[in-house]
Amino acid sequence: MFKNYIKTAYRSLYKNKGFTAINILGLALGLATCLLIVFYVVDELSYDRYNTKADRIYRVNEDLKLGDNQVQYAVAMPPLAKTLKAEYPYVEDATRIKPAGTTHVKKGNSNIVENKVGFVDASIFNVFTLPMISGDPKTALLEPNTVVITESTAKKYFNTTAALGKTIIFNDKENFKVTGVIKDVPKNSHFNFDFFVSLESFPDSRSNEWLRSNYNTYVLLKDAKDHTKLAASFPAFLQKFSGAQMQSELGMNIAQFEKGGSYFRLNLTALTDIHLNSNLTGELGPNSTKEYVYIFSAIAIFILLIACVNFMNLSTARSSNRAREVGVRKVLGSSRKNLIFQFLAESILITFIATIIAVIAASVLLPAFNQISGKDIILTTQSLKWLVPALLLIVLVIGSLAGSYPAFFLSAFQPIAVLKGKLSAGFKGGGLRSFLVVFQFFVSILLIVGTLVIYNQLNFIQTKNLGYNRNQVLIVQNSGELNQQAGVFKQELAQLPGVKSATMTGFLPTNGWRNTRIYFKDASYDQKKSLFPQSWEVDADYIPTMDMKLAAGRNFSKEMQTDSSAIIINEAAAKFLGFADPVGKTVYQSLGGDRKGNTPNVKECHIVGVVKDFHFNSLRQKIEPIVLTYGQNAGALAIRVGSADIQSLMSQIKAKWNSLSPGVQINYSFMDQDFDLSYRSEQRIGKIFVIFTSLAIIIACLGLFGLAAYAAEQRTKEIGIRKVLGANVTWIVTMLSKDFIKLVCIAIVTASPIAWFVMNKWLQDFAYRITIQWWVIAAAAVGSLLIAFITISFQSVKAAIANPVNSLRSE
Amino acid sequence: MIKITNLEKFYRTEEVETIALNKLSMHVDTGEFVAIMGPSGCGKSTLLNILGMLDDPDEGSYVFNGIEVAQFNERKRADLRKHNIGFVFQSFNLIDELTVFENVELPLIYTGVSAAERVKRVEEVLDKMQIMHRRNHYPQQLSGGQQQRVAIARAVVNKPKLILADEPTGNLDSSNGNDVMELLTDLNEQGTTIIMVTHSEHDARYSHRIIRLLDGQTVMENIMV
Ligand SMILES: Nc1ncnc2c1ncn2[C@@H]1O[C@H](COP(=O)(O)OP(=O)(O)OP(=O)(O)O)[C@@H](O)[C@H]1O
Ligand SMILES: [Mg+2]
Repeated sequence: MFKNYIKTAYRSLYKNKGFTAINILGLALGLATCLLIVFYVVDELSYDRYNTKADRIYRVNEDLKLGDNQVQYAVAMPPLAKTLKAEYPYVEDATRIKPAGTTHVKKGNSNIVENKVGFVDASIFNVFTLPMISGDPKTALLEPNTVVITESTAKKYFNTTAALGKTIIFNDKENFKVTGVIKDVPKNSHFNFDFFVSLESFPDSRSNEWLRSNYNTYVLLKDAKDHTKLAASFPAFLQKFSGAQMQSELGMNIAQFEKGGSYFRLNLTALTDIHLNSNLTGELGPNSTKEYVYIFSAIAIFILLIACVNFMNLSTARSSNRAREVGVRKVLGSSRKNLIFQFLAESILITFIATIIAVIAASVLLPAFNQISGKDIILTTQSLKWLVPALLLIVLVIGSLAGSYPAFFLSAFQPIAVLKGKLSAGFKGGGLRSFLVVFQFFVSILLIVGTLVIYNQLNFIQTKNLGYNRNQVLIVQNSGELNQQAGVFKQELAQLPGVKSATMTGFLPTNGWRNTRIYFKDASYDQKKSLFPQSWEVDADYIPTMDMKLAAGRNFSKEMQTDSSAIIINEAAAKFLGFADPVGKTVYQSLGGDRKGNTPNVKECHIVGVVKDFHFNSLRQKIEPIVLTYGQNAGALAIRVGSADIQSLMSQIKAKWNSLSPGVQINYSFMDQDFDLSYRSEQRIGKIFVIFTSLAIIIACLGLFGLAAYAAEQRTKEIGIRKVLGANVTWIVTMLSKDFIKLVCIAIVTASPIAWFVMNKWLQDFAYRITIQWWVIAAAAVGSLLIAFITISFQSVKAAIANPVNSLRSE
Repeated sequence: MIKITNLEKFYRTEEVETIALNKLSMHVDTGEFVAIMGPSGCGKSTLLNILGMLDDPDEGSYVFNGIEVAQFNERKRADLRKHNIGFVFQSFNLIDELTVFENVELPLIYTGVSAAERVKRVEEVLDKMQIMHRRNHYPQQLSGGQQQRVAIARAVVNKPKLILADEPTGNLDSSNGNDVMELLTDLNEQGTTIIMVTHSEHDARYSHRIIRLLDGQTVMENIMV
């Protein structure tokens, strides 16, 4: 019996090859896309869950409010970890991480630039699950000058994973002993280091300062439920441990501090929330946001729905043509149950085939998808464990849903009615089908508008005047390597013919150092009127090299002796301070440390200029106040080059570098590339959006194509009659397209406001953003209409030019 | 009005080539009422389709109202057709989704008659066919005889010079069939040329002349008195 179902199903599908192909392909495409998105979302949700103790690990963050300045840090004070562990028995362990930034590691005679170096406490291997291949995780990092490296790093430097006891040389001079080799850190981790350097090596790690935050600090609780208890104990804890330091440095206790509207708090973030829910200052890497997970999940569901809708639409449409077959079968004694089974078997068979194609397609496309999304997703037997049952469920659900309508509807008909063809009229209306087509285009229009808005915003970011010119700027990232020679290097480069100017500082608007300081507005040292700006140490060449503009006053000058106390502020800082004419005014920089009697330890600073606002954070954030101070900072060297031959200029720069610092490789980048890098996640999202949108539209069109074919087929006779009566091709095409176009129009009208609303919401995330132009909606509307019309035309033109004699013959 | 000479029509399928019309020649004068008879498959419908310019011949000449149309393209044929020829089919070929009124109105829409004029002319012809009271019904709600009357109304609403009828009584009982034949006779008496395919000797007797076809060739012509 079952064999018979499969056989009839197969034959009936084979007979309608065209429909079957559209049906299977559409569904397979939808499922494949959906699978890719599911992989993406699952990967995003899996961050840090490789840790077997993930549910008991929390990161301690610091919230700071000082006057009107507010900062939320992902880092905390140096002594916090060990104090928490000592103080609370339910804190099983605590550990700290501090990224080392760009580091040079010696291999043979040359130095390799490594960015994935972290300073960590020995307890890291107890808190996080980083399986050690060789070495003892308990003791590996207890000693100073020890380092644990990953498997692939060991292979890179020693050509073997048996690297225990070997020596790693950092920055050409610091020797570290390898005391452990661990498996590579999983990609879905919020930190990703190749070198875990023992924090014991640095005196700062033993610092007892409670008013400074620079360590990412994690606690491992004995019981996950204790996190509320821990969070509740923080105020008393801070009182106990930092109160004294605050009194001596700021001259007030915590209660007084808070009375002024300021605060200083600790809070917790669950480890598994970091990747999607945390975007604080001092994260260990760029995190994602849950919005994108939501958006992509929604897209996946939409695409799956569109594909299923197609499938159901085409199946039901086609089944109406089989009313006669049903009638004949019933007359011949087929029971209703038999017929239901037959339709269901057929539909499940198609779904099954489509699913197999989808799985193959998804795995073939996975590498390309990884490339675009910047992920490293691989299918493991682990993923098959949930994938296979999920897919089988999908096959059953979609198969039965799509098959149920014809199954139950058709099989319920009286054979006589079906044979006389009375049925078709009821089927043709297809209110459900119309609704489903509207739904498909509704979703497509949402996606088109979404894509256009994202692209416009990205374009806006790319072309926005940032207040400085990022083009033609070369940055030598490791000029600090040259130590005293750095100044010489700068002088020599400035002499080169292709170089317009050069400035030496690690504080760059793209990526670079950041530093905050406290400035009091006047000699009352009232913290309510204090400014908490970025404070950057730059030289006199900074503003011209960056091509920044002065709004008032002057630039620093080498000739002015007094410029050591001069500062230049940006417009945001000027506004914050509220000076009508800031140039010439004095502010007081807090130097920290012990107070002298009633006054804090301060330095007088004179404002000599106001620089026009420039962007140095993501465009998601408003421009913060900034104070430029005059000094020597060798963190990096930025060179503005003329449009001359970059190649030869580069080799001259390299030659100069090598003469000053043989053995260390110059590490350089271009400022515009650095800038693009900081919007890479948005660009990726944009690209992914375009791909998914196109796929959604293709799938929707495939469905429309099938439906139009079906409608044309249903109406062949009517078309024939109309042609005999004098209708020309235009008439017929219009007639056939009209109904569908009407549906697309309904979709446009309903989807546009919603698309506008949703995308406006997305834009709110950006402090600097576009407004959605009317033409975006119009373009989406016209675009979808055009696409729909072209799709339908294929079928309607074909139907319209057919010879009516043929269609009228079939009686 | 119609003159065909050595008309040929072949149908090629993958295996066989069927000669539907074989060097057929005939003529029909304006105002005539001609019946075409012959065994099933002898090419009657094929001939009618060519006369109605729904199909084109493979060989030979077809002169309609003094114009050679055998080589006309689709568009020219359609133009000539919609102003000059009305069709009546055995299976009525009404559009199920349209009411009686809308079905009859169709040819007027396609020839670009104004809406007011259309209402007037459709009502006039529905009146004449005595189905005015059914104007808002759908084809399925009518009997076979009534449906055929609607089809005839639709065929004549444009006041064509020629009506082509392919077994118009084939799906009707004898009394309804006679009604239809009376209608056609009336139309003929008012000056419309009629060419009708039929299997019924009884119906053929309403015509002036019978053309008998056998395997796509004229066998003989009887003139009725
Ligand atoms: N589209 C076609 N393809 C192939 N052969 C065709 C086609 N149309 C007609 N024929 C063949 O041409 C011949 C004439 O067909 P036609 O329909 O004109 O016959 P008929 O005289 O109208 O028959 P009936 O009285 O049964 O209606 C037949 O042999 C038929 O099989
Ligand atoms: Mg025939």
